[in-house]
Amino acid sequence: MIREYEAVYVFDSTLEDAAINEKVAKHHALLSAEGEPSLNHWGRRQLAYKIGKRDTGYYIVARFKADGKVLPEFERSLKLDDGVVRYLISIHEDELGAPPMTEEQLAAKRARDDDEDDD
Amino acid sequence: MRRQKKTCPMDEARIRWVDYKDERFLSRFITDNGKILPSRLSGTCARHQRQLASAIKKARFLALLGYTRGQQA
Repeated sequence: MIREYEAVYVFDSTLEDAAINEKVAKHHALLSAEGEPSLNHWGRRQLAYKIGKRDTGYYIVARFKADGKVLPEFERSLKLDDGVVRYLISIHEDELGAPPMTEEQLAAKRARDDDEDDD
Repeated sequence: MRRQKKTCPMDEARIRWVDYKDERFLSRFITDNGKILPSRLSGTCARHQRQLASAIKKARFLALLGYTRGQQA
C-alpha cells in the first residue's frame, strides 16, 4: 500500500555535505518512491546527549510516498550505513503542520474528547 | 469547592497534531529532570497528552531532547 512517510536522518557531522547528499540519494533510490522525496536540511546541530563520541549531527527531514513493502530493505541499508547515526521513519500525519483549528473544529473535538475521558 | 478545570494549552494554540520535531515546544512539557509533565499539572487534554508522550519519546530518540536533564556532574 502506498503511504506517505516522514523520515528523519541524523548523519555523522564529520561527513562532507556532498557525501551526505550522495548517501541520501543512494538510500532513496531503493524506495522507488512516487515523485521526488521532499528534503529539508536542518544542517549540523548539537545533539541533546552524546551518541558514542559525537556531539553534533547533521539532520535531514525527508517526506516521501512509498509502498510499505520496500521499507524493510530501505531500513536495512540505513542500518548498514556507518554514516547514519540515527534514523526514524514514521507515517506522516496529515494533521501535522496543518493550519490551526478553527473554533468549530475545536468545539467538535471537545465534544468528542468528553466522551472518551471522563475523569 | 471544585477546582476549575485547566484548559489544554494545545487546544489554545489550536494545534491539531503534536510535532515531534519541534523540541522547543515539547520542552515546555517536560520537568527540570526531563520527565514528561503529567496532564494533571499541564492541563493537557487526553488526546493531546497521548500525542505529546509519543512525540517526546521520538524526539528523545533523535537526540533533540535528552532522556535526563539537569544532573550533569
